[in-house]
Amino acid sequence: MKIQYAYLKNFLNTKLSQKKLSDLFTQVGFECDIDRDLIEFDITPNRGDMLSLRGLEREFHAYQVTKPIRKLKTFSLNPFQDKKVIDQIDGSGCGNYHLMLVKGLHKIKNLDAKKRSFIESAGIPLINPLVDLGNYVMLELGAPMHVFDLAKLSLPINVKFPKEKNTSVTVIGGDVKNIQSSSLTIQDQHGIQAIAGIIGSEASSVSSNTSNIAIEAAFFRPEIIVNQARKYGLATDASHRFERGVDPEIQQLALERYLFLLSQIAEYESVKLYFSQSRKTKKKNVKLDVTRFNKFSGLTLNSSKAITILKNLGFNMIASSKSALTFNIPSHRFDISLEEDLYEELLRSYGYDNIPAFEPKPGPIIKNRQDSILDKLKLGFVYSGFKELMHMPFVSIESFQQLNSKGWTAAELKNPINDNESLLRGSLFRSLFAAVNSNVKKGYTSIKVFEAGNVFKKEKSGFTQLLNLSGIIYHHEPQQTWSQKKLEYNFFSLKAEVYKLFQTLGMQNIAFKKVSSSMPFSENALEIFIGKVKVAVIGEIDLSVTEKLIKKQAFGFEIYPEKISLIFTDPKIKKTSKFPLSTRDINIVIDKSVSYEEIEILLNTEKIKFLNTYSLVNTFEGQDIPKGSVSMTFRFVFQSNAKSLLEADIKDSMQIIWNLLEKRLNAKIRS
Amino acid sequence: MQIPQDLIETATLKLKSVQSEAEFFQLRAKYLGKKSFVVEAFSKLKDLQADKKVIVAKELNVLKNKLTILFETSFEDIESISNIEKIDVTLPADPFLVGSEHPISKISQKVINYFAPLNYQIFSGNEIETDFYNFEALNFPENHPARQMHDTFYLNSSSKSEYLLRTHTSNTQVHAMLSEDLPLYMLSPGRVFRCDSDTTHLPMFTQIEGLVVDENVTFGDLKGLLIDFIEDFFNEKMQVRFRPSYFPFTEPSAEVDIKFGKKGWLEILGCGMVHPNVLNGCNIDTNKFRGFAFGMGIERLAMLYYGVTDIREFYSSNLDFLNQFLS
Repeated sequence: MKIQYAYLKNFLNTKLSQKKLSDLFTQVGFECDIDRDLIEFDITPNRGDMLSLRGLEREFHAYQVTKPIRKLKTFSLNPFQDKKVIDQIDGSGCGNYHLMLVKGLHKIKNLDAKKRSFIESAGIPLINPLVDLGNYVMLELGAPMHVFDLAKLSLPINVKFPKEKNTSVTVIGGDVKNIQSSSLTIQDQHGIQAIAGIIGSEASSVSSNTSNIAIEAAFFRPEIIVNQARKYGLATDASHRFERGVDPEIQQLALERYLFLLSQIAEYESVKLYFSQSRKTKKKNVKLDVTRFNKFSGLTLNSSKAITILKNLGFNMIASSKSALTFNIPSHRFDISLEEDLYEELLRSYGYDNIPAFEPKPGPIIKNRQDSILDKLKLGFVYSGFKELMHMPFVSIESFQQLNSKGWTAAELKNPINDNESLLRGSLFRSLFAAVNSNVKKGYTSIKVFEAGNVFKKEKSGFTQLLNLSGIIYHHEPQQTWSQKKLEYNFFSLKAEVYKLFQTLGMQNIAFKKVSSSMPFSENALEIFIGKVKVAVIGEIDLSVTEKLIKKQAFGFEIYPEKISLIFTDPKIKKTSKFPLSTRDINIVIDKSVSYEEIEILLNTEKIKFLNTYSLVNTFEGQDIPKGSVSMTFRFVFQSNAKSLLEADIKDSMQIIWNLLEKRLNAKIRS
Repeated sequence: MQIPQDLIETATLKLKSVQSEAEFFQLRAKYLGKKSFVVEAFSKLKDLQADKKVIVAKELNVLKNKLTILFETSFEDIESISNIEKIDVTLPADPFLVGSEHPISKISQKVINYFAPLNYQIFSGNEIETDFYNFEALNFPENHPARQMHDTFYLNSSSKSEYLLRTHTSNTQVHAMLSEDLPLYMLSPGRVFRCDSDTTHLPMFTQIEGLVVDENVTFGDLKGLLIDFIEDFFNEKMQVRFRPSYFPFTEPSAEVDIKFGKKGWLEILGCGMVHPNVLNGCNIDTNKFRGFAFGMGIERLAMLYYGVTDIREFYSSNLDFLNQFLS
């Protein structure tokens, strides 16, 4: 809400500067910004009572001065109940309905320049003096008003929910709205003349020829107004106030004020005020236990101080006992219904800055605290040169389909920011591709990046969220360095990178399994298992799924940290041998159709005495090697826990290995 | 004849300081050469009596063998010393890439590092949430204007429940209050979503919220904790201001501003005492327990901490930007 500083200062009868006044309101909970000659109040939705000069004045006086708020000039009227003017009102939506009929208007002038400027700077356009005056009184007292052209109305008025379906009304401004059955309406004998608390119809609106008017002031219950305006694509100053709660006791006063101000700009022949009341809103009383308040806040306030503070804010004590004081809540305070609400009032007034600040206290000791596996993995990649990235999770349908299998149903937004971002990602790779692309365009040639985040999947009932840690390695050195060493990177660098990290973090029983299709990887890909649980996929990126974002070879990984934390256990330490290691090499020629994995399985499953470890130390193809075969050199390391091994011991074991390779895998032993 | 007892020790010691082959041979001559004690001693053996001669000869042999082995094994070390080629050690290191965590991760961790020693447990929670945990259980009645403060992304779902992207991490607090034992001291870090996007707002940002439910906690405890946290975070004495505000899930609610150089007062935190409706909804006995809660936007803290001026930089994948952050 924007208010002219000069107008407010005058209304509050204060000499405080714009800055001081803004600070004062900010400090008691109404955040202010200064915008040229205006103060913009950020009024929180619980304080609809603050959306007027009168509201601001009440708070200001509570904190600044003790003398009572001054009375505004009004013309007093006696209200009448007459079924010929207001027939029935639906009590579930309308607490009271007032209609002031003013006839024989003539010599209508504009509002004075100050008032017009005040209305306009509050963001409300000037329309017609009779309407402008209603808006002025709304800004002054917080009661929205609607002015009908009486000549266009066919009394009596009914306030009710529409029974007929598909009724449409042309509202002020010319738009046609289909009225929903949940919308309270103001109807005359012709039909709907206004959507209650939101907007009037074009048909009954005032014009420059209007001489008889009916001014409405009513209490529409917040719970039936809320969200109604939005359904019609509208947000009016009236709906904004009714949604937050308009004082149910202010309607007659507002009309009397309207009449007084009307008399200053026009002449009229007669005026009469009609009203209808459904049921009186019950007076609210709330109890306050000052001892409990002190325990809650850390203060030591006494009862009389509490009573004074609350009295200044308009809360009158109506009863007191040993355990509690009872306060009557003013009709405009929709936000007060619990004891804690009064605590806030006391603290606001006492000043949040005057509340003591105690030393921080720790919570109970956490047992079996586990380090986050995600944090460890992230740090591991950071230490091996990766940059962590973060991205928004929104993707297009096309990107989603490139990276997710058909069985993976996307989580879809009802209200995306734009159509290209209507789905939630099912993979982190789309953003990583784009990240590589933008940095390659900039001139980067070596990029290692990763992201940790959730991917989403729609299920039959609800959704699942899976934590992924995905990364990309893109290495294309344009030139060598002085030391002839390049940042060369191939599939086995990737395998080593992930394997080394997993082992460093203490994971055991790591197994690799070849996988033929796993997006976004090409067939050069492996799944990594810990025991029976798949915890990662690594591989060369299939460039055809990158939407042309990556054009040269790249590698990637996708790790599922949640799967790892579940199965991680500390190892039991074995006794080490004090005897030396002996190594022996063996060179074989083997058909290329035999994969390394098969050799591994064979060597791992057969029991070979004293064998400690083995490794592949060389492979060779070409000269002297038959086509379709490959030469491999293995290094075997032997050790015993009980003795220094003799040549004879090792020879026996090597013979077993020879036999296995020759007989089972048809390998030719060369040395 | 007296055989010196410390001959081996002194030889070992002297060998350690040998820097070149020449020095080595000089030293070997001294211990095993013609004029060395050992060789001279052998030549003097003939002057001894027969029975003594046998004993001394044995001792001398042992000594000579020990010295020979000592010099043989040491020679390998000397060789490696003398074979070292002199290089220009000021040439650049082998090529490598420097990694770093994302600034948002780093600031989140910095916040967590303050609360972890105070035994706050970490809960990450669901980013896709039902209306109940994101709003209803947090005292946002249906259709309440307070919901308009949160521009919410909703999801198409085949379930009866309304699903949305959480607008704050308070949903995690509701889950924890319903499942964990009291007293509860917790942090809920994570990503949250609001469907507005301009130069100062992103549709996704990062929050860390904290919650304490315990007996005898006061607004004064909340105040003291947050001031201490802020000063720890910025590592200096700060001017901190608490002012009343409104959040449906806390009563009273406050916003916390810090005085930040020329920028004046800047809002960095929201907080309050947990609303009794929220506690009651989580079956917590409000006669026994009270709670306080606080929440902060990590992007905002990171901008202040690092002096970043455009919030969009954090999600731009721009390596020029990210290279400036150290791990």
